[in-house]
Amino acid sequence: MRGFTTMFFSLLLVGILTLAFFTPVLNAGIGESGTIAADAGKAKTVKELIEMYDSDSCAECHKEIYDQWKKSLHARSIFGPEESGRTAATFRTTLLNGLKKWKFSGVAGPEDVKVEHLRICTKCHLPQLEDATDEVASEIMNMIVNWAEEGDEKAEETIQALNINCLICHNRNAITHKWTDGYPQKGVVYGTKDGDHFSESMPEMRRSPIMQESILCGQCHGLGPNLELDNPTQCATLYGYYLWSYQAEGGRETCQECHMKKSKLGHNIQSYRSSAMREAALDFKVEVTGFQWRDGSKMVPLTEVVVEMTNKAGHAIPDG
Amino acid sequence: MTATLDNGKKIFKDSKVFMPVPGRMGRGDKMGRGPYEKSGIIRDSALPPMRTITEKYDIPFPFEDVKERGKRVRKILAREMTINVELWYMPYGSRNDDDNNTLFRKFTKKVTIE
Ligand code: HEC
Ligand code: HEC
Ligand code: HEC
Ligand code: HEC
Ligand code: HEC
Repeated sequence: MRGFTTMFFSLLLVGILTLAFFTPVLNAGIGESGTIAADAGKAKTVKELIEMYDSDSCAECHKEIYDQWKKSLHARSIFGPEESGRTAATFRTTLLNGLKKWKFSGVAGPEDVKVEHLRICTKCHLPQLEDATDEVASEIMNMIVNWAEEGDEKAEETIQALNINCLICHNRNAITHKWTDGYPQKGVVYGTKDGDHFSESMPEMRRSPIMQESILCGQCHGLGPNLELDNPTQCATLYGYYLWSYQAEGGRETCQECHMKKSKLGHNIQSYRSSAMREAALDFKVEVTGFQWRDGSKMVPLTEVVVEMTNKAGHAIPDG
Repeated sequence: MTATLDNGKKIFKDSKVFMPVPGRMGRGDKMGRGPYEKSGIIRDSALPPMRTITEKYDIPFPFEDVKERGKRVRKILAREMTINVELWYMPYGSRNDDDNNTLFRKFTKKVTIE
């Protein structure tokens, strides 16, 4: 009898623990429980995080868009340019010259790195890290260190698979005003129209009110210091320029119009690395005049050079 | 930009940097480098959108003042120079970074005086 009670209690305990484990901590908003992340529960490994937003299946039907996207930096958003891995390298510098050096960060090595530490970068470079446990953050940091210090190729591949893919723009980050428009629901691709979507895992298509608005891109393209962080960082500040310089001076085009449509690059969203974008960047006019200026009784032979540069982008060039 | 004489001699050289200069940790007068330490802007010379930025230079042709029969006269030593203006994009802010630095615009013209 006694043995049974113990067993009963221990079973109950396991039950409570499991429940606690699978119930994600939700905010007050209605419908958050229907998001991809809430449904899956926090990812406990890098592999689980990659699977949660796996977009490889989209290539089946959207091959052209997929191939375009694959060439963009969004497809390597914590690795950076293919040849250099500049972004991953800077994540490592952030650990060495930042997190480890700051007295009050609580980080002595990669194993101490939590989501809140990486958030100072992943807020924009990998927003879905919010849907993972602290173990995933330290796993990512470890992989980056192994890639940088030992040339670990498998780590490099995995780091590149953590990116801003179809499901980040067309689901997770497709809605900014969630109390107004609802939380993005699993099984739905958000685009420019409502209807059926011919995909088994994503059977519905819904219009996102911001898909063609600059704020979609503005979520990650920065306003200035990220003051909501315990230790604010600053990287991209381009959306700030878009709002307070470009729009303030009368600019009316959206990010999508310049970067996806006029550029004809579609989902291969690029900047100075693309000749189309370099061409569109600015008007450059130089006038030179040779003349002899009379300074009292003497002639001063001079060349006047006037360089005029008119930035035609929707923000400052370059970005911080 | 440079000005060069026909004999290859460079008589003028100047460069200007256009970029937002981020502050370091949101305090003081020092520039920050990595995104982990950047906060704020302490100076901004980036090319602003929708506006025209003008840079002007006056470059003298080489001359020499000599005395001829008791009078000071100005002798112009060269009457031609070639102006080169290049606009480079340096994504990581280093002049010695051939892999990443990109030439945006280029201008060359020979200037002559009488
Ligand atoms: C089995 C084929 C198939 C798969 C797989 C598929 N799609 Fe689609 N998708 C379509 C078709 C067909 C349309 C066009 C529907 C229409 O215009 O009526 C579409 C439309 C869309 C749209 C809306 C475009 C608009 O005009 O607003 C988005 C966004 C989208 N898909 C994203 C995705 C994403 C993300 C994935 C991967 C998770 C995916 N699709 C997988 C077939 C597919
Ligand atoms: C506010 C969002 C945001 C935050 C926070 C942020 N970044 Fe960035 N970062 C971007 C965007 C967007 C770009 C690319 C566009 C640009 O350069 O304007 C970028 C570019 C970069 C680049 C240049 C990559 C290349 O393609 O050459 C590096 C390196 C980088 N970030 C590292 C970091 C690190 C490390 C952190 C954290 C300490 C961080 N970023 C924090 C948004 C952010
Ligand atoms: C950085 C954000 C972003 C990413 C990543 C992204 N998209 Fe899009 N996508 C957009 C935006 C914005 C539009 C709407 C463009 C417009 O009409 O102005 C769009 C439009 C579309 C459309 C409909 C219009 C068209 O071009 O046919 C489809 C289908 C689509 N995306 C599928 C995908 C797929 C598949 C992926 C992954 C390979 C993907 N997108 C990745 C932002 C993104
Ligand atoms: C979820 C965050 C996020 C969203 C949404 C997003 N971006 Fe980005 N974008 C980034 C990051 C991070 C990088 C830099 C990746 C790297 O190299 O480290 C980047 C890179 C870029 C680049 C290349 C910059 C370079 O240095 O060459 C361009 C251009 C760009 N984004 C434009 C857009 C546009 C246009 C949209 C909207 C349709 C958009 N982005 C939406 C985060 C985002
Ligand atoms: C009027 C057209 C136009 C609009 C609007 C526009 N861009 Fe750009 N953008 C460009 C051009 C042209 C370049 C290439 C010059 C360059 O690389 O700086 C560029 C460059 C960039 C870069 C690279 C910045 C750098 O440091 O060189 C990023 C990132 C970017 N755009 C993102 C965006 C985002 C996000 C938006 C909306 C908030 C946007 N752009 C709006 C035309 C535009």
